[in-house]
Amino acid sequence: MTTVIVFDEAYLRHEQSPDHPERRERLSYTFDQLREDGIFDHPSFRHVFPVEATQEQVARVHLPEYISFLKEASTRGGFIDFDTVVPRGLLPLALLAAGGAIRAALSVLRGDGENAFALVRPPGHHARAGTGAGFCYLNNMAIAVREIQQQGIRRVMILDWDAHHGDGTQSIFYGDSSVLFTSIHQRPLYPGSGDTSEIGEGDGMGYTVNMPVPPGTGDGSYHYLFDTIIAPLAREFAPDFIAISAGQDVHFTDPLAGLAVTARGYAELVRKARQLAGEVCGGRLVAVLEGGYSVEGGLPYTNLGIAAALAGLDLENIREPEVFADWLLKAQDPSAHQRVCRMADTLRETLAPYWECFSF
Amino acid sequence: MLVGMDVGGTNTDLAVVEDGISSLKVPNTRGIADVLHHVRGPGRLAVSTSTPLNHLLTRRDWKVTSLLIPGPGLRWPGGVKGAVNHCGDIVEEVDREEVTSFLASHPADALAVIGKFSVRNPALEQKVAEYARGFYPDERICLSHPLAVLGFPARVATTRLNASLKEEVFRITKLVESERNTFLFFRGDAGLSPPGDVIRNPSVLTNSSAAAVGLGVSYLTGLRDCLVIDVGGTTTDLVPLESGMPIPEVLVHEGTRTATHVVRAHSLPFGGDSVIRDGLMPWREGNALAFGGSGPTLTDALNRTGFEIGDYHASSGLDRRLAEQVVDEYCRKVAEAVQGFDSPRIAGCGYLAPFLVPEIAREAGRQFSIPPHAECANAIGVAVSRVSLTLVAHFDGVRGRSVVNGEVRRMERMGDEDELVESCRQEVRRQALEAGAHPRDLDEIRVLTCSSYDVVRGAFRRSRITDIVVQVAPGITVEAR
Ligand SMILES: [Zn+2]
Repeated sequence: MTTVIVFDEAYLRHEQSPDHPERRERLSYTFDQLREDGIFDHPSFRHVFPVEATQEQVARVHLPEYISFLKEASTRGGFIDFDTVVPRGLLPLALLAAGGAIRAALSVLRGDGENAFALVRPPGHHARAGTGAGFCYLNNMAIAVREIQQQGIRRVMILDWDAHHGDGTQSIFYGDSSVLFTSIHQRPLYPGSGDTSEIGEGDGMGYTVNMPVPPGTGDGSYHYLFDTIIAPLAREFAPDFIAISAGQDVHFTDPLAGLAVTARGYAELVRKARQLAGEVCGGRLVAVLEGGYSVEGGLPYTNLGIAAALAGLDLENIREPEVFADWLLKAQDPSAHQRVCRMADTLRETLAPYWECFSF
Repeated sequence: MLVGMDVGGTNTDLAVVEDGISSLKVPNTRGIADVLHHVRGPGRLAVSTSTPLNHLLTRRDWKVTSLLIPGPGLRWPGGVKGAVNHCGDIVEEVDREEVTSFLASHPADALAVIGKFSVRNPALEQKVAEYARGFYPDERICLSHPLAVLGFPARVATTRLNASLKEEVFRITKLVESERNTFLFFRGDAGLSPPGDVIRNPSVLTNSSAAAVGLGVSYLTGLRDCLVIDVGGTTTDLVPLESGMPIPEVLVHEGTRTATHVVRAHSLPFGGDSVIRDGLMPWREGNALAFGGSGPTLTDALNRTGFEIGDYHASSGLDRRLAEQVVDEYCRKVAEAVQGFDSPRIAGCGYLAPFLVPEIAREAGRQFSIPPHAECANAIGVAVSRVSLTLVAHFDGVRGRSVVNGEVRRMERMGDEDELVESCRQEVRRQALEAGAHPRDLDEIRVLTCSSYDVVRGAFRRSRITDIVVQVAPGITVEAR
């Protein structure tokens, strides 16, 4: 079986401004690293090109007024917030990113690959039904989830591992019990939401799970949360599909966040997610790139690690060059893990009424 | 005057293209030096040779050791410490002791050294090569950075192949150079290269015989789309032409895609010298009876069906019915292979083409033609080819350096994209002229890649990185038109 890589050089084209953190350079080195490691010729991978998401697919998630605004702004230029302007010509590129997430999810559904990784830009998890935010315009992940639900998948579990809270995705599925949204994110950090007490509303009560972690949190704590929160939830929720919002600003070299995850640690998380998907949903797993702004020290190695883990390859040599060793020491906070454990206790208590795995 | 020379397994074909075409076939037993005596005088000499590959095939016990510098990434067993990153920075050093103890414990006939991202900075590969000189002569050490393109696994496969070919290519180069001051090698993608480039990357010689007949037939017939069938002594090669050129594809070695492109060709293990037992055998033992051999071959079978090739009386010992059966069998096999190609027309070449291609075409239901000089289309193809070069350049404005075909240079100032493309065009032009290209062959220099992005550090745009690939494509030189 193969891992589908969805990538198009057009993803290198979008740019709000040349010095914006979410810029072309973000994926250029990753693309070099994947090409040099031979991913596009490797028998375990299949390279697939995206097509633009359709109006209908986007309209399942976003409001008509917002779509009209994007269309309009995309011809003249527009403004959403100080981090998120609409450059001219944005819409086709944003549609191609959403289309990439869809393409990845559908190739898994159709059996073109065991799982898939969509290396898309611009990212999507801060985009809500009615507005973009935080470098995001269309919620790629939510659009892909609604598409596969349209095709017959009922329950989807989202693992949002971006350093920032996936507030857009959370708001879209907040009242929906068919989508279990889980997020590990740094706090305090933009956008500020994502407290353990935010657990959904109406039918969706208990189907939003937030794991805020302090700066300096590293691999060990992430794996602890995976093993003690994410995996038990997955077994009980029994999703038909698992989708990772694969933000990589958790990397210890990231300039916009303060976490301490390594490329290897991230890859091992994805390896566990692959195992979990094999256990609960026939292996159906897709990863969609979100943030990640350490263009040289983080992204090339983490993206390669994610691809390798999805394909079930040996991860022993997934690492940063040795020159980053000191950087990692400075990024780690040894006291963070204790706080993560306390947060997890609180979370389990809050969720106990909704999930048997957390009831005493 | 254009001189083409195709050194085959048993014979060397020579063609001189001037106002007309003249050709000559010389048995290899007389040696390359002797052949070269036939082409004294001025004119450009181009040489195609399949001997390095034949050589490789006959020495099965030859061993190539790969020394890898894989750095971070997918796991590659058998690597040593050291890493270059995507930008060409050395982020981990190689350890001399580790390298020498690796070499001491992995004895072999030749060494392939491949470092990840060496095409962005070859320093670590070069350092390892220096340490390896105590273990191997230069002709048996191959490095991967001259391949210039990203794709570590493909460079591993290519460099391994190169390590097994380099010494033989080096030997042939010295041999030809002792007779002629300058010459060019004919590559498997139908272009010409100076010998230095080919010694750095001998894999480009693969399939050169097929490329030669393809280009030769294109020149002789003017056909744009057709399937060339070259009936040789030991093999029959099918080479499709599209827009008047053979079609390049990725060369596969040891089951892995290489970084080299050679023309598409399908080879059947049967030809005029194929041995006849109770049927046609896929090997050669010597010449046909009609050419002084000791056993009957396909050529003798043709004589028994009514042709008069060579000393045709000598073929009379072969049973006539068996002869007919063998010729039928051969034509059927080739016609079957023809069905794998959708070219509307067949063009035959090789000495036996007039006797076999009409029947193959009938069997396959295709139209055919056999151009004049079909018997030496290969050497003509070599003669009429042109110098073709590819320049792969990576400009890094932040680090103030560029890497051109694997070689690092200092860069005083980063121009804009147009300036950089222009400088690449000029450089490829200069290199091609230096290699002996005709100026009018350089009217069209293709830009295959041109992409840039800004590099930002802190909150400031520091500079840009630009990748450019330009090429003088293979083709027929204006001198031959
Ligand atoms: Zn983020």
